[in-house]
Amino acid sequence: MSNPARNPARARRLDDALSQLVDGLTPALPVSAIQHEDYADQEEALAAAESQRHHALMERAWRILDTHASTSGPDPGSPAGLGGRRGSLAGAENVNNAPDLIKRKLRRENVSPDKAVRFSNLYSRLLTQPVLSQKWGILFLLYKLSASEEPMEEGRENGARPRRNTAIDSDDEGPAVSSSASQQHHRVPVAKLERQSSLRHDINRDGAEYAGRNAAERPISRVETGTNDRPSDENIRASSPRPSSAHASDPAKLSGSVEYRLLRDLPFNLQGLSSSNLQFSSSSSLKLPSNLSAPITSLLNTLAEPCLLYKGLSLFVEGSDGGLVNQSLRSAIAVELRAYLSLVATLEAEIRQALAAIGDGTEPQGVRKGGVTLKRCVVWTRDATMALRLMSLIVEEAQSKRGGQLISLIHGFSTSHGDPFVCAFAEKLLAHVTRPFYDMLRLWIYDGELSDPYKEFFVADPEFRPKTDPRRIATSVWEDKYKLDDDLVPSIITQEFAKKIFLIGKSLNFIRHGCGDSAWVEAYSRKASKELRYGDTATLEISIDEAYKTTMARLISLMNGKFNLFDHLKALKSYLLLGQGDFIALLMESLATNLDRPANSQYRHTLTAQLEHAIRASNAQYDTPEVLRRLDARMLELSHGEIGWDCFTLEYKIDAPVDVVITPWASTQYLKVFNFLWRIKRVEFALNSTWRRCMTGARGVLGNVEDQVGADWKRARCVIAEMIHFVNQLQYYILFEVIESSWEQLLDAIRKPDCTLDDLIEAHTKYLNSITHKGLLGSASSSRHGSSTSTSAKQPEESFLSQLHQILKFMLAYKDSVDGLYSFSVAEFTRRQELNAKIETRGAGQWGVRSNSRGGASSASTPDIRPDSASVDGVNTPLSLSGPNFAADDNMLSSLRVRLRELSSEFRSRLTVLLGDLSYQPDVDMRFLGVVMNFNDVYEIPKRRKAASATARDKEKEREKEKEREREKAKRRAAASSAATGSGAESFVQKEGRRERRDTGAIDPGFTSGNG
Amino acid sequence: MPPKSDQADDKRQAAREVIDILQEISDLLNTNLDRTELSLCVSLIENGINPDALAAVIRDLRKETGSSKRVVNAPTVE
Repeated sequence: MSNPARNPARARRLDDALSQLVDGLTPALPVSAIQHEDYADQEEALAAAESQRHHALMERAWRILDTHASTSGPDPGSPAGLGGRRGSLAGAENVNNAPDLIKRKLRRENVSPDKAVRFSNLYSRLLTQPVLSQKWGILFLLYKLSASEEPMEEGRENGARPRRNTAIDSDDEGPAVSSSASQQHHRVPVAKLERQSSLRHDINRDGAEYAGRNAAERPISRVETGTNDRPSDENIRASSPRPSSAHASDPAKLSGSVEYRLLRDLPFNLQGLSSSNLQFSSSSSLKLPSNLSAPITSLLNTLAEPCLLYKGLSLFVEGSDGGLVNQSLRSAIAVELRAYLSLVATLEAEIRQALAAIGDGTEPQGVRKGGVTLKRCVVWTRDATMALRLMSLIVEEAQSKRGGQLISLIHGFSTSHGDPFVCAFAEKLLAHVTRPFYDMLRLWIYDGELSDPYKEFFVADPEFRPKTDPRRIATSVWEDKYKLDDDLVPSIITQEFAKKIFLIGKSLNFIRHGCGDSAWVEAYSRKASKELRYGDTATLEISIDEAYKTTMARLISLMNGKFNLFDHLKALKSYLLLGQGDFIALLMESLATNLDRPANSQYRHTLTAQLEHAIRASNAQYDTPEVLRRLDARMLELSHGEIGWDCFTLEYKIDAPVDVVITPWASTQYLKVFNFLWRIKRVEFALNSTWRRCMTGARGVLGNVEDQVGADWKRARCVIAEMIHFVNQLQYYILFEVIESSWEQLLDAIRKPDCTLDDLIEAHTKYLNSITHKGLLGSASSSRHGSSTSTSAKQPEESFLSQLHQILKFMLAYKDSVDGLYSFSVAEFTRRQELNAKIETRGAGQWGVRSNSRGGASSASTPDIRPDSASVDGVNTPLSLSGPNFAADDNMLSSLRVRLRELSSEFRSRLTVLLGDLSYQPDVDMRFLGVVMNFNDVYEIPKRRKAASATARDKEKEREKEKEREREKAKRRAAASSAATGSGAESFVQKEGRRERRDTGAIDPGFTSGNG
Repeated sequence: MPPKSDQADDKRQAAREVIDILQEISDLLNTNLDRTELSLCVSLIENGINPDALAAVIRDLRKETGSSKRVVNAPTVE
């Protein structure tokens, strides 16, 4: 039944499409359908039946289409313009609203929103497609088709359906009825039966309706469609899939009105206010009315959550305690709560609208019709509830946290929580919460000021200074003014980064307060300061790196330029570490007589005067006055019985900013090294002066008493030469091997381009440590470390320092004894001189000298004491000296001899022990010292046995080889040092001279002994 | 489908996409239309058929055939 007015081509196309559609929708007729017919050819019959049916269906379809057209529009077939289509539809807005309708339907039918979301995506994709011009129409079609499963019928259709029903009825029974038509009649009862049994469950009301229609029950179908207009029991039962109407009519009404009341109160409850039905009995509990049905109660339980959470959170927001980060968290949550309130407001508007739409609202259907139910409210508040839940969780955890920890907490949510909603929400919160943190950070890295009234920043300003590290007992501005608190470093910043930030701020602060250069800091902060915000980590990193570089460079240049750090280091080395040899030698010479006196007779002014003298007479005068001004000589704390040597010290004063690098600890280390070196120097000085006396005396005085003390002198010279060798090697080792090489390392570290103040401090500390350790000043830690194998075998390990002190003490004692020997020799010499003189004066006539007056201890005091035994026994016979007459002198001499022998053997044994320790040191340089001192194996070092002798032997061999190597090395060094004379280092030259002197001395005793 | 096949190749591609999208929506909505039926419907509506009416037709046809199918199946079950 095609419309003749239609464009024939389009009509044909439509016809084609429709017939195909009909074909697609109708299944092939089974053979069984016609088995009882008497057609001979079944296939023919089938084809005929099919075409018959097809035709019939087509007719029917066209009729429906035309009916629609005639009822709803003047010209349904008119070319598909918007206007035409609009006109053809009962409710144009229905078609245009098709996407909304679908969305709403999907949302209504599915608990989760993902289907609706998927639809939205698809729909937006569809909109971008250019092909279709009737997108709405198609969507509407789809919507209708899907809606066909629903019992919901548009009232608008009512007009169409009865007519359609009649049409179809007539169609079924019309003249076109064939075998298949009669067949339909035949099967009606069966279909009805089946429908009653199964289709009810499918809630396919259309099917039911049509079943009724097929049995010519048109009145019922009319009633049914009619019921769709007005709510009735029938409808309620039919709409059973709807959640809120699962009750019989009366309870439905009841629950409807209850639900209505609950709905009315809901907005207030959501704002944390009590209502007549729901009362907050306390801040954390909500009382539900007891007379509700279970489903509603469970819904209310769900709805109660946001109510309670909101109440708790609003309490938190109103509070005002806590730090800045806490307060910003509070404000961020307040913002979120405002968003929540606006949601509640929307909800309220919806509810009101729905309630108003149904007038008095007593009809349960009204609530449903309005589209607002408790269940829907639950769904609508779901996201908000999640947010509230998260916030209250954060608030709860925040109780015990502050500052960075709080930020870390929220950051943890935003980075490691699986739920994208939680992540996004925490991220949003974080932007607010971190604001005070970034303000602090900015102030810190650009101004170097810590503005942290609540102790939330990860840089802390400790009131009490923990004195755990004994090395930093003295408080240092740099080390102790600020502290990095690892606990408070928020996880948005890495530890390494936090350290950097800490350094920046500390440096700025130090520049400002320690170096008094606040002008630069202010200029810098004006220039570089920029806003820091959460999120752009890359920018933050860049700006922090920049700030780091700038401040560090500035700090180092200040240290170099303004505060002459390197000059000070150099001065310390040349004065306190005896680098300036001529100065030290001069100082020692001029002070020697002074310092031999007891400590309590030393006067500061003489010391400083001598110091001045030494400075003026040596190359030190060319040093800057800035450095010389700081040099001072003073006495250490006096203790009874000490002489000046023990407590004299040089001092180099370090003041404010530089003492960050040269800490008080470092100063004491310098002093320690100086005292040690000074002591060695003094021993060397003493030995040298004694040696000089011996040498000069040997040609005069001592030559005359050769017969009596010659052997003693020979031995003494040997021992003194040995000692001088030892002292020289020790000095050489400390000054060159230790101090100079450490100094090189220090310079290397300092000259690195990206050196920071911390690096400087560390390098300097390392420098001092290596000096004290290698310079044998190391306390137990270093020596214990080295000789752990030997400790068990020997007595409690003596540190090298005390060993050396012992040795030096023996040297001094030996020197005193040698001096005693010298004075004895001189006394002997003068006695002999006098005796000779007497003999000569007597020689005129009278022989015989009275010898009874020599009973006095000092026989030289009286001119006439000398016995004339010389004339009896010959002048130079030793026998005469050992005679009974000279018992006192003999006593003295023998005691001197004993003492000398004891001291020298003691010295040797001590030295052997020391060398033994040295040769087992892990440090190559220290082993080297041992080898240098004993390079011709004069001293027999006790071998240490290992558990397994075989391995020990192997090791021994290895050690031998190593010794060989080191001996060679030593030789080479010696050669090199003798070659490098013009190096400019005074101490070097001086040392060289001393070495030569020692060499001559070493030869001399042998020479003299050879002569004797 | 016929009106679509008349058009150029790129249009066909676009049309296929549209049908894909519509197919998904239709699956979402449980309309039980297969791809062919869907494209037929699309072409009908593009040609000016009232979607409401078309929906009615399809439902009607479904009902018819559904009932006939059921009747056909019934004897074989029993």
